[in-house]
Amino acid sequence: MSAWQTVRLIAGREVRQRLRSRMFVGTTLALSALLVLGALGPALLGAFERTPDDEPVAADPVRVAVVGSLAPAETAALEATLGPLTTVPAANEAAVVSALEEETADLGIIVGDRVLTPPATGMFAVGTGRAFQAAETLALTEVLDAVGASGSAAAVLGVEPLPVEVIGEDDQALQAARLIAANLAVVFIFAMLMFYASMIVNGIIEEKGSRVVELLVEAVPIRQLLAGKVVGLGTIALGQMFVLFVPATTVLVLANRDLIPPGIGGMLAIIGLWFALGYALYTLISAGLGALVSRPEEAQAVLTPASLLALVGYVVGFAAIQAPDASFAVVAGWVPFSAPFVLPVRQLVGEPTSLEVAGALVLVLLAIAVVALLAARIYEGGILRVGARVGIRDAWRGSSR
Amino acid sequence: MLELRNLRRSFGDVVALDGLSFEVAPGELCGFLGPNGAGKTTAMRCAVGVTAADAGEVRWRGQPIDLAVRRRTGYMPEERGLYPRMRVHEQLVYVARLRDVDAEVAARNADRWIDRLGIGERRDDPVEQLSLGNQQRVQLAAALVHDPELLILDEPFSGLDPLATDVMSEVLREQADAGVAVVFSSHQLDLVEDLCRTVAVVARGRLVLDGEVAALKAAGGRRLRVATDGDDDWTARLPAGAAVVSRRDATVTVALPPTLDPGAVLDVARRSGRLVDVHLDQPRLSELFRTAVADRPDLAAELTEVDR
Ligand SMILES: Nc1ncnc2c1ncn2[C@@H]1O[C@H](COP(=O)(O)OP(=O)(O)O)[C@@H](O)[C@H]1O
Ligand SMILES: [Mg+2]
Repeated sequence: MSAWQTVRLIAGREVRQRLRSRMFVGTTLALSALLVLGALGPALLGAFERTPDDEPVAADPVRVAVVGSLAPAETAALEATLGPLTTVPAANEAAVVSALEEETADLGIIVGDRVLTPPATGMFAVGTGRAFQAAETLALTEVLDAVGASGSAAAVLGVEPLPVEVIGEDDQALQAARLIAANLAVVFIFAMLMFYASMIVNGIIEEKGSRVVELLVEAVPIRQLLAGKVVGLGTIALGQMFVLFVPATTVLVLANRDLIPPGIGGMLAIIGLWFALGYALYTLISAGLGALVSRPEEAQAVLTPASLLALVGYVVGFAAIQAPDASFAVVAGWVPFSAPFVLPVRQLVGEPTSLEVAGALVLVLLAIAVVALLAARIYEGGILRVGARVGIRDAWRGSSR
Repeated sequence: MLELRNLRRSFGDVVALDGLSFEVAPGELCGFLGPNGAGKTTAMRCAVGVTAADAGEVRWRGQPIDLAVRRRTGYMPEERGLYPRMRVHEQLVYVARLRDVDAEVAARNADRWIDRLGIGERRDDPVEQLSLGNQQRVQLAAALVHDPELLILDEPFSGLDPLATDVMSEVLREQADAGVAVVFSSHQLDLVEDLCRTVAVVARGRLVLDGEVAALKAAGGRRLRVATDGDDDWTARLPAGAAVVSRRDATVTVALPPTLDPGAVLDVARRSGRLVDVHLDQPRLSELFRTAVADRPDLAAELTEVDR
């Protein structure tokens, strides 16, 4: 049996055990549902806010109170820009104003003089926008009339405009999305790392406490046991990320195309990558520490060094959201233990050089390799010593066999 | 052949194994005996690789025991251990799979042992919900589920009720008859005497007695109980090597060295009167054990210390 097959068997058991925990599955599904609701939020709010004023429907003609009389060419031109019209003759300006106030008209035109409009309402200021369009249309018709082409105004205005392409990114929306993503990233990575650190420690304590470890160690090299646990929990973490984010993102994409933060795929990839690296680093440290104790009450205490490291990373990561390119953030990016918190922030809201990103990646990978060796040795030294807490030096010095 | 050769292991100042050697052949059912703290558990853990020996080696079929051999070994640790929240069948399959048994065979074997050990109704219950006795059965099944060729069981009988003891004895017997080398530690000497063909007795990390039970008993010196209707002054003329162990009324018990013909003693006794009662006893294993362990006064003090 190859080492990988053994690791897969052990990982498979870890996965099955978690999937059988109602608490774990329930919490994950509930969180996922919350996120879906959050993604639906803007769409739901939009539905409530929607009023006829904001979005005139094709069937609703625009009601125009007119003092004087519009030439047929003018009416046609107005219909080309505003859509179908019903004109209501008005005696004078005062009649137009009261029609607007009583909302029996949407727009007033004093021919040859002015366009009257009620104040802007709604996000898109539809009312006043329409008034400017009407005013421009009337002016244009007048010009065309002067050159003897009054009949072509409607045709000119009805022309399908060329497509407009926005070059570059819509700065404000993107910045906002990135800021949200950076905040989410720091909180998410910290919460998940702490969660999985205690998961792996509790798993190890269960094996030591129940003494099943002796039966395992007889048949499985201790390092493969450790690798199996890390891979198994990693698989679960990956699955959990999928369940948490994929439905919410899908809903976001389907429900309100306009509101998808631009570049959301890239942002999720950045968060996923740094979470995975942080996971490997912190879970290995936690596994090494966890092998030193045998009782659940000792789990938190033994994890303290790892928790503190992560907490520092978390705080620095949070501070970096405000100043992603400040020197403290740059320095913290070069430290493997804080990089998983700081780098996603810098990549989302700052401008790290590619050297800084690549350097951080290499250093974190190196740190993972070193930590894996140290953790495996301490794990080997501690895993078979059931009972009192094993000193880290003791565990380091001798394998527990 | 399982060979433990000159095993040494110390824990700090405590010498747990002090050059222990013995052998168990395939098909042999060997009782591994010794007072508390004698080093039985340490020796067995060395054999299955859970503890490393400071010196000496353990061989199976002439080769040092490696991972491949350990995967063909069934082991029952002294501290029983299973995943508390894993179901019985699933757990047995997992244990077998870790020992490189393919999934189908593992599932079939698990069911076979579950049925054989009478825990069919608990097949899909988490182990923690089983009674202690049933957990012991699952533990035994976990040692057997991969069809091992070598069985190393640390006090498999401890905590079993008489019925479970019978089942355990039967299973061990069967395994040995099927060619498996079986070694188990125990403090139940009478049971070992009936069950095992061979024993190894360890004290203070050293082998103090081993061999076939029958031969040990035969060689261990018999006891001859004699009563005559005359007086008992014949004991003054006992042949060399024979010694009086006890006297009660006219009944005298004499310990005989293995080589002495009991008839020689009877000849002497018959001269003082008619023989009324004659009884030749082989020693019980428990007596041999006590002699082997206590015959070495250098051990006595340390043993009581360890017993604490
Ligand atoms: N892990 C250990 N750490 C320290 N001392 C140990 C350890 N394991 C065994 N010992 C000591 O080694 C001696 C032999 O123990 P053990 O092999 O458990 O004996 P047995 O199983 O025959 O009762 C005892 O004195 C015991 O206290
Ligand atoms: Mg023992």
